Amino acid sequence: MTAYLVTILIFVCIAILLGFALNLQWGVCGMANFGLVGFFTLGAYAAALVALSGAGSLAAVAVAALVCAAGSAGLALISLRLSDEYLAILTLGFGQVIGLVALSETWLTGGSLGLSGIPRPLTGLVPEANYEPVFLLLLIVSVAAIYVVLELLQRSPFGRVLRAIRDDDVVAATLGKNVAAMRVKAFAIGGAIIGVAGAFHSFYLTYIDPSQFTTAITGYTFMAVIIGGRGSNKGLVLGAATIIALIESTRFLKDAVEIVDAGQLAALRLIFVGAGLVLVLIYRPQGIASEYQLKSASLFDREDGRPIEAAPAEGERS
Amino acid sequence: MIAQVVLNGFITGLALALPALALTLSYRILKFANFAVGAMLTLGAYFAFVLNVTLHLPLIVAAIGAAALLAATLIATDYLVFARLRDRTAITLLVASIGISFIMENIARLIFGNGSQNFNVAIMGGYQRWNLRFNAEQGYTAITAFAGMIAVYLLLGHTRLGRSMKAVADNPELAAVRGISREAVIRRAWAVNGVLLGAAGVLVGLERGIDPQLGWSYLVSVFAAAILGGLGSPVGAVLGAMTIGVVQELSTLVISPNYREATGFCIIAFILLLRPQGLLGTVSLKK
Repeated sequence: MTAYLVTILIFVCIAILLGFALNLQWGVCGMANFGLVGFFTLGAYAAALVALSGAGSLAAVAVAALVCAAGSAGLALISLRLSDEYLAILTLGFGQVIGLVALSETWLTGGSLGLSGIPRPLTGLVPEANYEPVFLLLLIVSVAAIYVVLELLQRSPFGRVLRAIRDDDVVAATLGKNVAAMRVKAFAIGGAIIGVAGAFHSFYLTYIDPSQFTTAITGYTFMAVIIGGRGSNKGLVLGAATIIALIESTRFLKDAVEIVDAGQLAALRLIFVGAGLVLVLIYRPQGIASEYQLKSASLFDREDGRPIEAAPAEGERS
Repeated sequence: MIAQVVLNGFITGLALALPALALTLSYRILKFANFAVGAMLTLGAYFAFVLNVTLHLPLIVAAIGAAALLAATLIATDYLVFARLRDRTAITLLVASIGISFIMENIARLIFGNGSQNFNVAIMGGYQRWNLRFNAEQGYTAITAFAGMIAVYLLLGHTRLGRSMKAVADNPELAAVRGISREAVIRRAWAVNGVLLGAAGVLVGLERGIDPQLGWSYLVSVFAAAILGGLGSPVGAVLGAMTIGVVQELSTLVISPNYREATGFCIIAFILLLRPQGLLGTVSLKK
């Protein structure tokens, strides 16, 4: 039972990392990353290849983060001056390409068989029997460290400018902020975090293949961010836990209800995720936890503290 | 050899033209990129599958039925979801459309499973001329796609509905002042989308078999076509689709066919670098 719990918590932590990244990219900056799973794959394979070459776990994590950051920065640069749809489709296409490469370049990625025997961090120092709790601890420490950095970042002038850009980039630019550079940086930082998540995924499973990286991961992460509240890293812990709880609890549904097979179960989950996304967007766009805001900002808000919503343009409904 | 590849490319492009037109029309009128366009196409293919295989209707009747059913489904989707998000940002609608895409694709998967299925049609023969091989599916694709394109052209240019669509796309407030109901125009735009995507679903299903991933695997190519043509430009969407089709088929001569789907991404990246407004059309630059 403890072992099962540890496994679940490890998956929750990896989901939280992905959520942190998407939260920064989409929640804070408004840049939808529909190719999240592609970067996750890239990070996982980069870390696996470096670790397999014997360069050590730390180097593997660093390379995964760097490669994903570079890829993210590249895509953000290409779509720099265009509206957000273009970045969304670019990331989606990038995700597909990474999937194709993972499947086709057998000499590098092992094709559909994948890579196995990926060395884990700290294996020399920790006895085999206690390895998984220690791994979880390591992961929690990493999540906490990234959380602190992100919170500092969001409360820093950098974070304030990012939110200003999301809410109105023209105003931000008018105030002399370099909108383009900020967006690229933020997207790259998000990419680096996805890379770290990918590295931990490889380390934990010690075996990766293309079938582990489905579009569902992107959907789940959007769901986690939207449950947690866009812009709120604290809420994400709740969001990621909810998603993993959903996946794990429905696992038993298969045994309880005989008419549902594994494929149908996966389909049901994704219908649920899709419906959840749409419902939260319609009924609770701010999510369950809300974004950190400067208290003085509430001076300009309505009395109930909610940000003023843009009034619909007149004459749009006739 | 090259001529055959180019011919196949044109046909691939013609099949892409219908969903690209649908995407570009909804982008102009609804002002957001509909990422569910792939899943809607999949749904159209399955509607036709049920009518054709389960109810034993001839394929042409099934295709018309599927187009009507899909149009009704999209109007219902708009009423349930998109209408409630009308005043939100484009990025919210984008994410909502991905949510819709998950729902539609997986309803198909839940009911029909992951396997690939085929329409109940007689095996169609081919036709040889000038060293080129034409098969019957290609003929159907060409005829349907041309019919669809001409219909859209006539609709936009020569009907009252087309003019009100353009009016709403350009300036909804002014259109409202002139007594054009935005909501009514949007519903009709979804109906047009449904017909185009239903027809496209049948064509694609006829060529490659029907599976729940059908539309998803087309999605990037459809966007590439629409972006290459200039998002929002119907003529551009058709030209873009033809170009993408030919490039995609030609690419198989140079690179491994595994990467055929990757050409869509590469083309989008190149267009954005070189000519972000596409072949025809204007782009909304940020900053």
